[in-house]
Amino acid sequence: MAYQYVLNVMSDDHPGIVAAVSSVIESLGGGINSCSQTVLGGYFTLIMIVTLPEVVAEEQIAEKIQTLGNTNSTSHHLQVLVRQVENHANASPKGPYGKFVITAFGQDQPGIVRRFSEFLAGKDINIVDLFGEVRDGQFVLIGQLEVPDRWDVRMFQADLDEIGQELHFTVRLQHENIFVATNQLRMRIGG
Amino acid sequence: MLRTEEILSTIEMLHAEHLDVRAVTLALNLDDCASASVDSLCRKVESKIMAQASRLVETCDRIGVKYGIPVVNKRIAISPAATILAGHGSAAALKLAQTLDKAAAECGVDFVGGFSALVQKGMTRADRLVIESLPEVLSQTWRVCSSINVATRRAGINMDAIAILGQKILDIAEATKESHGFGCAKLVVFSNIPEDSPFMAGAYMGSGEPEATINIGVSGPGVVSSALRRRIAQESNLTLGDLAEEIKITSFRVTRVGELIGREVAKGLGLAFGIVDLSLAPTPTVGDSIGEILKALGIEKIGAPGSTAAIAMLNDAVKKGGLFASSSVGGLSGAFIPVSEDSTLAEAAEKGYLVLEKLEAMTSVCSVGLDMVLIPGDTPATTIAGIIADEMAIGVINDKTTAVRLIPVPGAKPGDRVDFGGLFGASPIMEVRNVGASEQFVNFGGRIPAPLQALRN
Repeated sequence: MAYQYVLNVMSDDHPGIVAAVSSVIESLGGGINSCSQTVLGGYFTLIMIVTLPEVVAEEQIAEKIQTLGNTNSTSHHLQVLVRQVENHANASPKGPYGKFVITAFGQDQPGIVRRFSEFLAGKDINIVDLFGEVRDGQFVLIGQLEVPDRWDVRMFQADLDEIGQELHFTVRLQHENIFVATNQLRMRIGG
Repeated sequence: MLRTEEILSTIEMLHAEHLDVRAVTLALNLDDCASASVDSLCRKVESKIMAQASRLVETCDRIGVKYGIPVVNKRIAISPAATILAGHGSAAALKLAQTLDKAAAECGVDFVGGFSALVQKGMTRADRLVIESLPEVLSQTWRVCSSINVATRRAGINMDAIAILGQKILDIAEATKESHGFGCAKLVVFSNIPEDSPFMAGAYMGSGEPEATINIGVSGPGVVSSALRRRIAQESNLTLGDLAEEIKITSFRVTRVGELIGREVAKGLGLAFGIVDLSLAPTPTVGDSIGEILKALGIEKIGAPGSTAAIAMLNDAVKKGGLFASSSVGGLSGAFIPVSEDSTLAEAAEKGYLVLEKLEAMTSVCSVGLDMVLIPGDTPATTIAGIIADEMAIGVINDKTTAVRLIPVPGAKPGDRVDFGGLFGASPIMEVRNVGASEQFVNFGGRIPAPLQALRN
């Protein structure tokens, strides 16, 4: 039998965190299925799906990682959250959907992410990747979305334009194929 | 998952640097519309265009919204009008042109190209009919564009046709003198005309093409000059090799936009995708200019020594990047240098940096030729024919497409300025030197034989 777990690790950034996590997984006889890691503002965060050969208590896995991570480091504290993967953990829309990218640029102000994310949630649109950053007083928001095919892109863009006008933001919604075509060697048509 | 920097760089290219899809052109074969009766011919033409092209604009707009990139012009290119005019008289030529004009308007397209004839080795009666009708057709219709191919590598140069066209260009200018001879902007004289170009006024559908196909042309001079300026600002000790590489990368990205939109539009219309034309096509918008690229490459005054080398490098790098981006490259695929449509080139002409002879030299290494060049309205027909012959010779000898789109502006002198508005832009009247001195050469007529390059088998 194989048992899947999702791990989430957060820490101030320093070398050795991934080494600590992967050592623990290996010591449990497990393997890493997929992982994604980023550093933001000096803070490290990692999400990882792992497979273990037998059931291990979630707290026990977290404790092993914390112990090893903190041993290997001088003054850092890892926060680790572990959950066994549930089969229904998929938030993609039920019907057909297209992969779009929303970009919004404008003067930084409170409530931008809330305004857009509430709008998207209200339309049953799943955000699969989100980036936000203040650059020279301008806030840049980029979201990769799963947009159900039932939405007319023109109407959707009109709604976003309205929110953009209200916030004095430039907002664009574009199918991801345009970004793939202009940046990657292979291109995708349709979708 | 896409990376943030990839998204941001594409957004910058599309929106800050004004990349757009310049033209989606539906190429349509009309040969099966031929009929002994003019009325029947025109009915069939209108019906076929409406059946194939009525959804063109809506489809382009829908795909444009999906990708957040505007499709600026939607056009139709037909198989040469001379073919379906065979056996008809002069009234039929005008009536067909008016039918094309009306059908294009009903479909919402801005131009319909292909009121054309291929006469590189000689003229049929129908070819002559098309050429004779041009002053009337181009003055009495708005959307109809014409192209006449007078030379090829295999056939040589038809000087008889060029001599006739020298006079016809003056006649068209006279017939449209209220708009400063604008009718001439809708006629292109070609050597080695491409059969699948999406760009007007020279687009037509050649033989060997399917019944209908979608060809696409993407703009991009602004994107290339921005990319060069950014690279130069970021790095020192760059060589021209580094800058050529930057152009190549940018061309790859620009071409991909064309390929994506073209294929989706074709799919949406249930048609074959034809080609993406790599040509960098400038517009009068400041910054969207081939001249600006040359400036970024260090040519302070366009027309100065080095201009030809710079544009040769640009043209080559654009092709190399584009060819890797798409396996369906076609059309003209080079850098256009239409004087009135490129504000920096027009400015160089106005200041006297860029003269006709230097422009001609530059066209020998890029696409497409002496394009949108305004000359005095009293330039003799034989001199116009001589200019055309020179440009055709460059095409024939170098086995490339060259073209001439001259506008002899009635009543205008060198230095006067004419503004056509919109994409056609504004330009000073350029001086033509040695006027009248090629009369005897042109009057010999006949055909300049095909060059040695024709014998490749």
